[in-house]
Amino acid sequence: MSYGVRERLLAPDNRMQVVGIAAAAIVLVVAPFVLGGFQTSLLARTLIFALFATAFNLLYGYTGLLSFGHAMFIAASGYAVAKVVQQVAPALGIESMFGGAALMVVWILALVIGTAMAALLAVFIGYLSVQLEEIYFAMITLSFSMAIWVIANQDIIGSTLEAFGIGGGTFTNGSDGLTFRLGEVNLFGLEFRLVDIADPIAFYLLTLVVFAAGMYALYRIVNSPFGTTCQAIRENPERARALGIDTQFHSWMTFILSGAFSGLAGAMLVMLKTGVLPADAFWTSSATPVVMTVIGGPYAFLGPTVGAFTYEYLRWIIRQYPLLEEFWEFSFGFLLLIVVLFFDNGVYGGIRRLREMIAKRRE
Amino acid sequence: MSEDHAGHSAERSRRLTTGIDRRGFLAAAGTGATAAVAGCSGLGGGGGDTIKIGGVYLLSGIAQALGTSSANAARVAVKQINENGGIDGQDVEIEVRDHGDDPQAQIRSLAQEYNADVMIGLTSSGVTLASAPTIESLGVPFTLTDIGTPYITEPDTDSFGNYFEADDGKAAFTPNMFRTNSNTSHMTYAIAKFVADNYGESRVANMGPDYAYGQQCWDYFKAYSEGLGMNHEYVASEFPSLGASDMTPQINTVLDAEPDLLFTSFWAGDTTTFISQAAEQGLFDQVDDVFDTIGADPTVYEALGDTTPEGIHMSGWYWPTAYDNDNNQAFLDAYRNEYEGDDTTPNIPGFTGGSTWAAIYMYKKAIEAAGSTNSDDIISELEGITIDNDPRGQTTIQENTHQATAPCVIGETSFDADVPYDGAGLVNTQTYTLTRERSLELLQGSGLGPGL
Repeated sequence: MSYGVRERLLAPDNRMQVVGIAAAAIVLVVAPFVLGGFQTSLLARTLIFALFATAFNLLYGYTGLLSFGHAMFIAASGYAVAKVVQQVAPALGIESMFGGAALMVVWILALVIGTAMAALLAVFIGYLSVQLEEIYFAMITLSFSMAIWVIANQDIIGSTLEAFGIGGGTFTNGSDGLTFRLGEVNLFGLEFRLVDIADPIAFYLLTLVVFAAGMYALYRIVNSPFGTTCQAIRENPERARALGIDTQFHSWMTFILSGAFSGLAGAMLVMLKTGVLPADAFWTSSATPVVMTVIGGPYAFLGPTVGAFTYEYLRWIIRQYPLLEEFWEFSFGFLLLIVVLFFDNGVYGGIRRLREMIAKRRE
Repeated sequence: MSEDHAGHSAERSRRLTTGIDRRGFLAAAGTGATAAVAGCSGLGGGGGDTIKIGGVYLLSGIAQALGTSSANAARVAVKQINENGGIDGQDVEIEVRDHGDDPQAQIRSLAQEYNADVMIGLTSSGVTLASAPTIESLGVPFTLTDIGTPYITEPDTDSFGNYFEADDGKAAFTPNMFRTNSNTSHMTYAIAKFVADNYGESRVANMGPDYAYGQQCWDYFKAYSEGLGMNHEYVASEFPSLGASDMTPQINTVLDAEPDLLFTSFWAGDTTTFISQAAEQGLFDQVDDVFDTIGADPTVYEALGDTTPEGIHMSGWYWPTAYDNDNNQAFLDAYRNEYEGDDTTPNIPGFTGGSTWAAIYMYKKAIEAAGSTNSDDIISELEGITIDNDPRGQTTIQENTHQATAPCVIGETSFDADVPYDGAGLVNTQTYTLTRERSLELLQGSGLGPGL
């Protein structure tokens, strides 16, 4: 960005993109002040899922590895966040050290530790998983995430610690999971509740910051030589190897990055839900980013984001009607069928094609 | 290559036109939905001329029958209130939604989009505890009608630990949450007392669903038994997974342990599975008695047909013939009138019926006393309120715990029971109540809170 910023931004190729991003940014910043409480938290949730699905797509759309266990990163990060809020922060005495800003410090700490935990998990599980490809890769990631679900649901960590004489046998609190309350922040005279369901503007804005930073980082990753190498692996692993790329190592690194960003999204999601459940690691939760990405389009950077919006808002519409809600999986399956059958690259591909057609008509 | 493209383009454009139609359809559907929702929330928002009650229950999956019978009882109560002039002259409207995959979204949607003035609901202790912070920040009065966990009505964080702050915290009291059903603490006390009075010290085995509820029931049963001075010998404890289709391995383990009594905490579909498979393996012939915490429900007995063994003891939060008072009769009559022609549901209320009916009438009294639908005003009226026409006899919401002084009921299974379906029911019913003081005394040393 050292020179020619203005020229590059205004170049004909980029102009539309810059205008689009600016417009989206304005809409997202203004939205919470216009929307009510419910819609604001729905939008926050959607942004979090957009980040999650984009992180997932780093492996799927860009590297050609379908992970069916990405919910494990949400869970790893989520339990870490719950532990930070419930125990680590009080033990460190953050409250007395930072006063009114304590909760913001706890928030940052939770975000960092949550992301780190997810990354750490990805280091181990990634190493074992990238030995396999295609359906075997999907199956092994699925097995790992279900193992994590069992560990959380049966509270195996708690029982193990108890056997060594530590704690009272609860660590993940079994099927009830961990629930916490995030209190008030007093920052430079501004007092607000961090996660206020009735008026979630503060948390929404924090979400937007995390979303923007995460998406920008992912965008830089996929457009770097690293990202290009990912695509080479997706297109033809043998040929990539012939070019001297250590595909397994590269896939492992991608897995870790994908896990870390999923963990970042997970930390925000768990704070929005004010709790984490073993079900967050269950395979149905792993299916969510897959479905979002397939709906949105895996072969475009913004595909998963479009998918997340389509998914969450369709889900919202379905929820309004008891009859549709009762069979919501059916309603969703139907939508997925339409997308897979008629669109090349998800809804994003559909939008692009529509745009091309309009351009052609104008000519 | 280029020819290929050209060849496809005609077909592609044809597909595109249909694509637009579909998209157009989706867009139209979306707009329609938004308009409809906006219309709804525009009508009654901010205390208009309708009082809105929002309900969230499990209406699908394992507990479908249970959630449906709560929703039915609530609808009958609302209908009756409307026929008698509403609440303070205002009509009452109720919307009940399924937990779905995201119960908190449903709770938020009802509070923030539907603009519910008061809420009832929930069919899972886990969901209740996980949703408590959400419900607290929404501030709307929320009454639980079907929830077992004692934690949610336990305010003593000093003695039992704050559930939201510590791993082993057991006090999750939430200021705007109330409960009209008797909870796990009542149920397990009742069974422990019944065992102490009728069988004395015995060899006791346990079976329950493998999640927090099953574990809690067993912990509380043991604690109350000890408090009552019973040194039972605990010979086996088995937890088949929730919704298990095959419980025979666990039933065999229990049979091998040769217990005198079997304590179980199955409910809804799990009770049906357990009883039919245990009957097949002859469990009921080999033990003196079997107990169940909340399995006593018409839908369970109807599903089991003639499989239900006679003479075992099952409990619930309500059983239609257990109370001899006019309010109960009025409730039963209203329920029968409404569902007589409906063959999808029994025309007597389920075990959550009494507490749900009571919750609606409790709200009526509180709103009329508060003179408004302001959440805080209603909440302060609810604290200490007496529910006069509770079918289970007059009950009071405890001011400091928000738990109703509701009785639970234990009965003996029999085919002579007065029920409008083919199957067993309960006879020789007894109701049990328990005070916080007595509970604290009995539970001393167990680390468990009364939640009463």
